[in-house]
Amino acid sequence: MNSLRMALDSITEKKGRSFLTMLGIIIGVTAVLVLVAMVTGYNSDMTAYYEKMGVNKVTVQVSWYDATRASNVMGQLYEYGNNDLSDWVEGVTPDLSTSLPLQYGGTTIDSSTVYFGSDQFSTCYNYTLESGRDIVTQDIENRSLVCVLGSYLADSLFQYSDPVGKTVTIGGYPFLVVGTYYQKDGGVEDSMDDAVVIPYSANREILLSDQINNIILKVKTSNDMDTVINKLTSYLNETIDTAVGEYSLEDGNSAMTESNDEMTSLSVVLGGIASIALLVGGIGIMNIMLVTVTERTREIGIKKSIGAPRGEIIGQFLLEAAILSAMGGLIGIALGYLLSAILGKVMYDLILFPNTLVTAGAFAFSVAIGMIFGIYPALKASNLQPVDALRAD
Amino acid sequence: MSLIELKDVYKIYNEGQENQVNALDGVTLTINSGEFVAIIGTSGSGKSTMMNILGCLDISTRGEYLLDGNPVSQKSERELSELRSRRISFIIQGYNLIPSLKVWENVALPMTYQHIPLAERKERALAALEEVEISSKAENKPSQLSGGQQQRVAIARAMATRSPILMADEPTGALDSKTGAQVLSLMRQLNAKGTTVILITHDNGIAAQADRTIRVMDGHIVHDSLWDGILVPAEAAAGVKGA
Repeated sequence: MNSLRMALDSITEKKGRSFLTMLGIIIGVTAVLVLVAMVTGYNSDMTAYYEKMGVNKVTVQVSWYDATRASNVMGQLYEYGNNDLSDWVEGVTPDLSTSLPLQYGGTTIDSSTVYFGSDQFSTCYNYTLESGRDIVTQDIENRSLVCVLGSYLADSLFQYSDPVGKTVTIGGYPFLVVGTYYQKDGGVEDSMDDAVVIPYSANREILLSDQINNIILKVKTSNDMDTVINKLTSYLNETIDTAVGEYSLEDGNSAMTESNDEMTSLSVVLGGIASIALLVGGIGIMNIMLVTVTERTREIGIKKSIGAPRGEIIGQFLLEAAILSAMGGLIGIALGYLLSAILGKVMYDLILFPNTLVTAGAFAFSVAIGMIFGIYPALKASNLQPVDALRAD
Repeated sequence: MSLIELKDVYKIYNEGQENQVNALDGVTLTINSGEFVAIIGTSGSGKSTMMNILGCLDISTRGEYLLDGNPVSQKSERELSELRSRRISFIIQGYNLIPSLKVWENVALPMTYQHIPLAERKERALAALEEVEISSKAENKPSQLSGGQQQRVAIARAMATRSPILMADEPTGALDSKTGAQVLSLMRQLNAKGTTVILITHDNGIAAQADRTIRVMDGHIVHDSLWDGILVPAEAAAGVKGA
């Protein structure tokens, strides 16, 4: 109890100096927390983006050397995916879109994403039907000029009245609105809600082509990705004559995985750099503790003369170092939370708080550093000969 | 059995080097329980070294020191601090107290090292402060006390600790003569209750108030008041205090 009070007294007696001593630890802890929180924020931002886009997608891209000998790879993969691969694949749709103006009545939206989709488009792209119906196979077979609107288009073209049954003009062609999708990306311009899907067979009218060479297969779980890629590889090897064309496969998760991996290593590097600040803070504590030992030499002498054992003296100085660094750690944590919250709001529009584990770790690390760097001054104090210590003024 | 026995004790600094100093140069001395001894000498005479050795703050280079008949010279630092805690109290020149602790806590601090429970520590500390007539300042910090009051607190600390030996190094050094006299009189009282008091001073006037004076010069004892009068030096060295 005495030791604790003596340590606190010594710290509060020289507030300015104690604060400056803590500053290194404060900055270190704050930096570690904020950096890790920012990386986490970036990560969840990216993950959210990928999830909105729809994860677990395999993209097949075919290029034909001779377009006249091209086969209907979309049709083939649709069949293959929905029959042979139906255990693992939940949807097949073209990976084809363009940007076109949309018009209804007097309102024109300059450029919206127009997707050429199969009846499984919404599954593949993570859209959910809000009203009306989705694209169906008949639409594709009949090359019907129908469309399903994203929420931004539905809202801005129809001012919140029901668009189903109305006709919009897309790229100069009249399309009957058969359904709308729920908002999934903020419902603003240029978001994924600023999109419309039409049957992919309509590309004959719109893009003047009936070639669909990029196809997306939506896989049920990320664990099935490899199976599907392997099966697709053998299937495409058989189907596509190497003299006529070639194909490539892309694992849609790999970009996300890569970005996650990058961010993890980035956060380790940044955290490491921030820890250097902690280390420097520790050296600051050692420095000031050495000064304190010199200043309190006489006090140490008195204590030793009245029988204080070495452990008592060591304990007192270690305690003081630990309290200094713990206080620094706590202030650093408070600042770290505050800064993370502010930066998270500004940068990612997220309520971002540092990871609890990282917080606990940074705190424990800062206290440990205080203790470690307090050992030398404490030992120095305890090794003072009482005779010399008493002689000091 | 004598309380303190030094047998041919040397304290040598920088031994074997050109600047070798024999701070104690073969000192033999016996002090019995209950004595009030003044060790007197000029600065550099070796009196402070003698206090450090007697007070178990330092150990001798050669020779034997028996405290209560137990040899001190071979003791470890831990054992020495244990000895100081239980056997010896100190009053030194200038400030003696821990600035961050209250007066009564200062008085109680040595008892902490003896693992005496808090309630008893406080009780004994307050009683001792009462005896030195300073109990009204028990809750104050040492910095709020005058120099004389601080020395009285140090004496109270010695009283409360109940150590059999009080070592006082120029206890009146920084005090005016009136306050100094008060401090000395308190030490007298303590001695009357059985505490052995060893007073280290350069001041003949203060030394004269002791029952026995030992003059130190160049690391030797050059005069011991026991030698005057009845006792011959050999008897004095043997520690026999005659009538």
